[in-house]
Order: sequence, then C-alpha cells, then structure tokens
Amino acid sequence: MKRALQTSHVRLTVAKILFLTIFLVVGGRAFYLQALQGDRLMRLGQRQHLKEWTVLPKRGGVFDRGGEALALSLEAQSVYARPRRIQDAAKSARDLARVLKISSAEIKERLTSAKPFVWIKRQISPDEAGQIQNLKIEGVGMFHEPHRYYPQGQLAGQVIGFVGRDAEGLEGLELGYNEYIRGETGSSVSERDALGRRVLVEGVEGLQVPAGGDIHLTLDTSIQHLAEKELEASIDKYRAKAGVAIAVEPRTGEILALANYPTFNPNNYSAASPEQRRNRAVTDSFEPGSTFKTIVAAAALEEGIVEKEDLFFCEYGKFSYAGRIIHDTHPHGWLPFSKILQVSSNIGFSKVADKLKKDRFFKYIEKFGFGQVSGIDMPGEAPGLLRRPETWSGIDLATHAFGQGLSATPLQMVMAYAAIANGGFLMRPYVVRRALSPKGEVLVENQPHVVRRVVSERTARLLASMLQDVTTEGGTGKMAKVEGFDVAGKTGTAQKVDLVNGGYDAKKRVASFVGFVPADEPRLVLMVLVDEPQSNVYGGVVAAPVFQNIARGALRHFGVAAQTAEPIAGPVAEADIPLRRAPKRSSQAAFDTGATPDFVGLSLREAVEKARDLNLKVKIHGNGYVVKQSPGPGGRWDENGMLVLNLQG
Amino acid sequence: MRTKTAAAVDVNSRRAVRPVQAKQPNRASKRKGHQHLVALCALGFCLFILGLVHVWLRLQVVHMGYVLSTTTKLQGRLEQENRELKVELASLTSPDRLEAMARRRLGLMPPEKGQVLVLP
Repeated sequence: MKRALQTSHVRLTVAKILFLTIFLVVGGRAFYLQALQGDRLMRLGQRQHLKEWTVLPKRGGVFDRGGEALALSLEAQSVYARPRRIQDAAKSARDLARVLKISSAEIKERLTSAKPFVWIKRQISPDEAGQIQNLKIEGVGMFHEPHRYYPQGQLAGQVIGFVGRDAEGLEGLELGYNEYIRGETGSSVSERDALGRRVLVEGVEGLQVPAGGDIHLTLDTSIQHLAEKELEASIDKYRAKAGVAIAVEPRTGEILALANYPTFNPNNYSAASPEQRRNRAVTDSFEPGSTFKTIVAAAALEEGIVEKEDLFFCEYGKFSYAGRIIHDTHPHGWLPFSKILQVSSNIGFSKVADKLKKDRFFKYIEKFGFGQVSGIDMPGEAPGLLRRPETWSGIDLATHAFGQGLSATPLQMVMAYAAIANGGFLMRPYVVRRALSPKGEVLVENQPHVVRRVVSERTARLLASMLQDVTTEGGTGKMAKVEGFDVAGKTGTAQKVDLVNGGYDAKKRVASFVGFVPADEPRLVLMVLVDEPQSNVYGGVVAAPVFQNIARGALRHFGVAAQTAEPIAGPVAEADIPLRRAPKRSSQAAFDTGATPDFVGLSLREAVEKARDLNLKVKIHGNGYVVKQSPGPGGRWDENGMLVLNLQG
Repeated sequence: MRTKTAAAVDVNSRRAVRPVQAKQPNRASKRKGHQHLVALCALGFCLFILGLVHVWLRLQVVHMGYVLSTTTKLQGRLEQENRELKVELASLTSPDRLEAMARRRLGLMPPEKGQVLVLP
C-alpha cells in the first residue's frame, strides 16, 4: 500500500515537473514572442493585412460669373514600370509604344533602366488606360493621379494659369488661389484581403480629407471669347506682335474680360513658351502715349487751371519747349481745350501741363494709381515706371503730358479710365468674386473697394463729355463709335523705346484705345492695346474698331437698350443710313392728341420699333403678335402714360 | 509527515462513520454537484453562443467592410464620371465651339445693325 502510494507520488512529481517544464517553455516562448519580438511581429503581420492607401487631393474648380466651368480636376492614370520584373523589354516596349504614341526605343531604354521604378507616361487618357490594362504586361502598372482639365481650351488661359503634375498651381489664379483650391493629400490605413482588395472594417473616416474649394470669377465667358476673337483678328490684320484687351465694370472694379495675345492652351502648357503664357495686361508696362492725356485733362480740370472752352494755340504742329521740338501729327492753330483732347494735340497738352506744373501733375498721376500696383488678386503685377518729379528734366513735364517718359500696365490705364467713368473713384480691380469651401461656405469674398476719390464728380462728368467728342466726327477715335450709344474714349499711338540704340524706335508703335460706354451711364470700360502693328500703327485705326466690336457685343450681351435707334440692316451701304434719332416730337404729338396708336396685329419687333419711334413706355406680355392693347386703339392715356401690349401666337 | 498521518487517520475515520452518517449528505452533495455541472454547462453554452455571436459579428464587420469598400469605389467612380461629364459639357458648350457650330451647321451669323431689339 505504502509502496503504491510512493509510486503514485513519484508519478505525480514527474508529471508536475513535466507540466512545469512545458509551461515554462510555452510561457517563455510566449514572453519572447509577445514582449521581446512583439513589435516586430506586429509590424510584419500588419504589413500582410494592412495597407496604406493614398487619398488624392481633390482640387476645386474654377468657374466664370455665370457658373461656366473653366477648370476642373479629374483622376487620370499614369503608367509606371518596375524594370526588374520585365520579362521581355523589347516586346513590352513595342506594345506600350503602340498604345502610348511614344517611340519604342525610348520606352525600351526606360524598361532596361537600373532603377527600381520608372514612369512610362503620366496622365494618360481613359482609352489608353484601358488598352494598357488589356496588355497585362508583368512589371507594368498604373497609378491614379489628379489631372487638371481646362474645358474651354485657351480661353482666359493667362488668367486661369495652370497646375503642374504634382497638382500645385504654377501660374495665374491657379497659383494665386492655390491654398483655397488645392485640397489636402491624405492617407488612410485599412485592412486588405488575400487578393489585395481593400476592406473598410474601420469605416470611411480615414478617407475623408478636406477637398479644395471652388473659385468663382468675375469674368464673363461670352465677353472673354469676344475680346479674344476680336483682338486676334486685329492682330492678324495689322500683323502685330501682341495685344491686350481688358473689360471692366466701372462701378465695382470687376474684370469682365482679360484677353491676351498670343494665347496658349493650359491643357498643354508645356508646349507654350513663356512669351505666350505671360499675362501682359498685368505684368507688362508700356508707355501709354496719348491715352495719358486724359489724366492731364482730369488734373487740369480738377485744379481749375483750365475750362472746357479755354483756347490754346497749337503752334501749327511745331513747338519749341525746353530746348526740344514737340510735333503734332496734324497742324492746328487756336483750339479750345475740349478740341485739343479731341484731336489729341501734343503741343496743346504740353501747354496744359506747363500750366499745371510738375508737382501737381505728379500728384494726379499717383492719385490715378500709376507707379503702384493696383492690388488685383493675380500674381505678378508690375507697378509700371514712374519717376519722381525732382528727377524730371525740363522736357519731361511736356513728354509726360502725352504719355512718354513713364510706363503703365494696361490694367492701370483701364482702372484710371474706370475712375472717370464712375464719377471719380479709383477702384481696386479683382477677378475672383468668391472662393467657396466644398460645403459652400464663403472662404474669401472680394467686394468693390474704393481706393480713393481721384477727381470730383463734376470733373469726371465734364471729362466724359469731352471724351465723347473723341469718338465723333473729327475725333481720332470715331472708329470706336458703337451704333446707338455714346462712347467716351481716347486713342493712343505710342512710340516704343529702342532698347539697343536708346531713344525711340523709328517704326515700332503701340496702338491703343481706352474708353467707356454708354458715356453717360457706363456699363463697360474697355482698353484695347495692340503691340507693334505693321500695316497701320494708329490707335484710332488699329485698336478703336476692336473696342467697337467688343463693346457692341458686350452691350447686347448685357441687354443694354440703345440710346438712339440703330439703323436698319439692308442692302444700302451703312454710310448712307442716317441714325434714326428718337422722334420726341411725335411722341409728344401722340400724347397731345390724347389718342393711343393702334398696335394690334403687329409683331413683337414691329411693336417695339413703333413704340420706340413714338417714344412710348410699353409693357410687353407674351410673344408673337399683339392681340390686345391697353389703352385700346384710339383710347385715352392713363396718368402713367404706359401702354400694355398682350401678344400671342 | 504529520499531514500524511492525519490523512490516514481521516481516511480511517471516514470509513468508520460511512455506514451510519454518509447517506444523507452524499445525496445532497451529488445534487449540488449536478447543479454545478448544469451551471457550468450553461455557462459554457453561453460562452459558446457568445463566441458564435462574436464570430458572426466579426464576419458581419468584414462583410460590411467589403460592402463599404465596394460602395466607396462605386461612389468614386460615379464622382469621376460626373466630373468627366462636366468637363465634356463645358467643352461642348464653349463659346468657341458653339460659334463654329452655329456658323458651319446652321449658317448663323452675328446679328446685323438694327436686328437686335432690347425689350423694354
């Protein structure tokens, strides 16, 4: 019995030791794996079933004032290769070259590279991506990358700018507003299965990275297109080197159109030269020439030095001043102040500037914003060149009066004219109305901003009326006249500085026209500048017609009713048709007789023309033909004098 | 050594009293043991069910992860398609293209002087 007990005790002890040993071995191993190797093994495990996924930045869009898309982002595929995994480099290169339209030699060189990773082609089209996928080449794959599209092509290319392959803005508004529109790049770690598919067991929070906001511009696509088209036509016609057209809303400083020539397509920015990509309206400064006379006139009128009818002797085209001879294009004798602006007399304005004196003149040059940046929300703005009056030589006062010896950007010039158009306020120009977050919250909003009052309203109105004469018969800018509207503006034909020999180049000119329309209640200030036209150099011939065409189209686009009736189109030459002024007397006669004319049966067009001829206030309901009118034909006018027409059909 | 003797004595004493006193407590302890066993089984069953629920939930999470992943991918694809369509729409309605189409296909021209009337 005792022996049996002893045996069992020994067995128990052996079992205990055995289990203790097993426990110690297992425990030790567990300790080793968990405590000593835990981190490393966890990493190894996670590498197998966890993967870091890159969340691409979602860049916001760029839209015009009417919501037309100017820039949008898509995801495009980019083809890469891992050369060490390529089996047959020559065949793979041939297949890839056929799809990607790159030489097979170039691809083969990349496929045989010693590098572990090479790009074959970035941002290919969806069609190409599909074909590459079908090739199923070992060692060749595709990544998603954001790609920027500019659906309107070259339209406003220099304004919008472009983004690089890393989705960062490089020029234009893409650069200026990059921080608002670029969006964040993120990464998210999530589980993957044996087939490499993502399994979002932790939810989608990790995938939510802040997207970029949209920016809405003040540009109007229709006017921008018109400005670019007309500018290009003029540049082609006069074989010019470059050109700029800017349209501004004078009361707010909103840029409606900003056209540059030569243009470029931001979809293919790498093919464009820096010359093409430059936004000349903002970055280049020119000697303004005669368009600057308006600034002298504003200063002289504001200071009360001259009145509209004051006479100046224009020396019959040749005037000696400060030891130099000043010439006029056409000789003139005695002319009133308004007339020297109309005919753009250099001599007349030299005399005005002489009365103004250089300090007061300089004060107004600065007040109009020259020699300083306008503050437009675009990168690369130049301040122009303006010397202090202390450094002016004797002749500088006269040459500044006709726009020589200083330089200004087209934007500065158009904003100075906008100040005259809006009653004397210099506005800060802007091209972005607002930047919105993806949730629609306003991040940035540009509001009309008055920089300063430059001249009084009286001076501005007076000057506007004088500028109207420039576009009438006898003025240098009559080709800028828009049928049915009074146009105020000024031509400029500036000599260009000869950078090689010094002085002014004998042949090179800058032709320009800047003005506003309608003159008494301006909706549009427009500057057209044509650089180095060849076949004709005068601003009144080269730039004024461009102004006319853009202004005409823009006013139609805005639905601005003509101040006077436009001549009816027909087989008769334009010059033979006199402008039909609204016959106010007949209207008065209509009221005097007390009888309402009969409109029933007239088409909408006929009714509107008849009402306009009779100078009647009408209210129109419906379309087609007039079926009813109130007051009825022959009836008496009510106290408002309003004729209501109902149309049908 | 002392413990061993005590155990032996104890064994002896139990044997000595078994015929007289062991009957009633044995049945009670059996019943108690049975109750413990039932409780243990219930606990085990509960744990088993809990385990199953856990596994089922885990499977559901993985399944939902797949669904979410597929849906996210679909959402991305639809968003991309939407953006592509917007690009296409903007390209097709660009003023340049519309003007060319209006001239070429429809023979339209810009309105002549006097053809445009602005309604009052």
